Amino acid sequence: MGLPNETATKTPSVAVLNRRKVKIPGLKWTLLVIPVAYVIILLGISLFGLLKLAVFDETGFTLEYITRFFSEKVYIDVLLITFKTALYVTVFCLLLGYPIAYALVKMTNSFWKNVIFGVILVSFWISLLVRTFSWMILLRSNGVVNDLLMMLGIIDEPLKLLYNTTGVVVGMTHILLPYMVLSLYSVMESIDGRLMQAAQGLGARPWKAFLQIFLPLSMPGIMSGSLIVFVLGIGYFITPALLGGSENMMISQLIHDQVNVVLNWNFAAAIAIILLFFTIIFLGISALISRNQVGIRGGN
Amino acid sequence: MKKLLFTLFTILSLVIAGCSSGSTSSSPGESGGSEGSADQQLVVVDWGGAITEAHEAAIITPFEEEFGVDVVVNTPTDYGKFKAMVESGNVEWDVVNVDSDFVIRGANNGLLEKLDYNVIDKTGVMEELVHDYGIGAELFSVAISYNTDAYPDGNHPKSWQEFWDTEKFPGARAMWKYPTGTFEAALLADGVKPEELYPLDVDRALASLDKIKDDITVWWTTGAQPPQLLASGEVELAAAWNGRVMSAKAEGAPEDVEYNNAVTMADSWVVPKGAKNKELAMEFINYAIQKENQAEFSKLIPYSPANIDALELLDEETVAQLGQTGKNRESQVVVDLEWWVENFDSVNERFQEWLLQ
Repeated sequence: MGLPNETATKTPSVAVLNRRKVKIPGLKWTLLVIPVAYVIILLGISLFGLLKLAVFDETGFTLEYITRFFSEKVYIDVLLITFKTALYVTVFCLLLGYPIAYALVKMTNSFWKNVIFGVILVSFWISLLVRTFSWMILLRSNGVVNDLLMMLGIIDEPLKLLYNTTGVVVGMTHILLPYMVLSLYSVMESIDGRLMQAAQGLGARPWKAFLQIFLPLSMPGIMSGSLIVFVLGIGYFITPALLGGSENMMISQLIHDQVNVVLNWNFAAAIAIILLFFTIIFLGISALISRNQVGIRGGN
Repeated sequence: MKKLLFTLFTILSLVIAGCSSGSTSSSPGESGGSEGSADQQLVVVDWGGAITEAHEAAIITPFEEEFGVDVVVNTPTDYGKFKAMVESGNVEWDVVNVDSDFVIRGANNGLLEKLDYNVIDKTGVMEELVHDYGIGAELFSVAISYNTDAYPDGNHPKSWQEFWDTEKFPGARAMWKYPTGTFEAALLADGVKPEELYPLDVDRALASLDKIKDDITVWWTTGAQPPQLLASGEVELAAAWNGRVMSAKAEGAPEDVEYNNAVTMADSWVVPKGAKNKELAMEFINYAIQKENQAEFSKLIPYSPANIDALELLDEETVAQLGQTGKNRESQVVVDLEWWVENFDSVNERFQEWLLQ
């Protein structure tokens, strides 16, 4: 593939442009134009308004709100708790979601495949509040989980599963798991099964074939799934509020309070912008990581 | 790579969109109604649920009949939306039921219309709740609530001091994750006299809260939580909104309210700045605070009337349920809204910091 690219860079002529036109599946991009424009226009305008609120108030330009966030320890703590919680949730979603997605890809019986998909999607569709409240019933000290464990004699007194980080992570993992499974599945499904057969045919043990062939090929799925879960997790509000304790304050609760209770929209905007800034940094880092991976694979 | 970036961008956009849409539940287009009859239609905004049903039965429906107008009820009250509406100049709401502190905060932010006391007859309404920009609708309190199985036969904590006494009254507790009410309780527990509460000693309140922090298993955020926590036995004691617990009790849940020392707050009626039916809104507020209608409301839901004269119209049993009998009335502490409006931000910051420790 090296040669055509070289000529292209040397002579950016009409021919190249024409070829690009032909090469790019025009329909695909046209179809995307409307939703993308929709998002950019609506999002762009409101984001701009938000940015403006964060640094402009009645008195004109000010960095007061941004500095207030960084000068109070409590806000930094909340930011760190938010990232920590989202990270836990991402790891657990990956640990739980990977085997599920793998099993779905390997499964040949279409009936069971549909059943599992159905279960995943149904839990996706049930209201977030309902799922959160169900976890409250399951996890409370005299709830189903504790009763079962006590009945089996595994524990003597109820475990504290609710109103702490455990509760938040369990609840959020359940709610965000479908995102992970679906993005893993979509990538895994496109992996050519014959590659594994070839590896094994060349003498690799199954686990080695998995580690060296399947796992690296499924990396894009891991990356995108983790990103979706992490970024959605950062913005969680109701689940941590209901399942968490006093130490589980998330940043969206702060923003919500500033918008709806305190009515300090300037500060709310500042927090939102700071959250956005860190999110973009995370996205940038992961984009870098995945680009490096592409590079390595290309090099091989 | 391009694809990945694009995916990332899309995800990002979605997240931001999700973050920014705090209140997407829009009102089903009342504004689309015929313009001709607009002055005959009043939009009243309330919190939703049982309290709205009581307002409808006791106040709104009779008002519609008496004035021959159509009242549309929107729920729930949302201050973010309130502010956005007034600032954009497209005010769909005429009368709104708000927390009383919002009367002062809203007035300071220029979000409220001045009430017309030529139309509104404030006779009997508690003095603390009569304000240029809003007037009391009903009272609620943060009161000691308990599971009656854990503390039978009147053997429950009867003051905040006893609520704080974890040796005499062991058991898990729940408190409101909100400084207003919680700090008053903490100071009363520490021996501050009710009449000397304000200005609140924030350091002392936090030190007092330190003493029972380990016994507070749940910091609740929505009013529906405490009755459920008490009923399930997850906690034995709670500082909770009285109306919610009394409603649960009426449905047979093993829980009750101790009204001694209750920290009382109020809801108020306000008119958003630029409301389309201002005159009718004033008539509505006047109607809503008259003692007959207030009494009717308190018969339907255990929230006390803001109009004290309404108590005379209620039988003894109802008054006891409201926690407004003589002894309880004297021991209750009315939250000083002016102080909270002045100090809420900084106190809340300290409180959140304390919670995270």
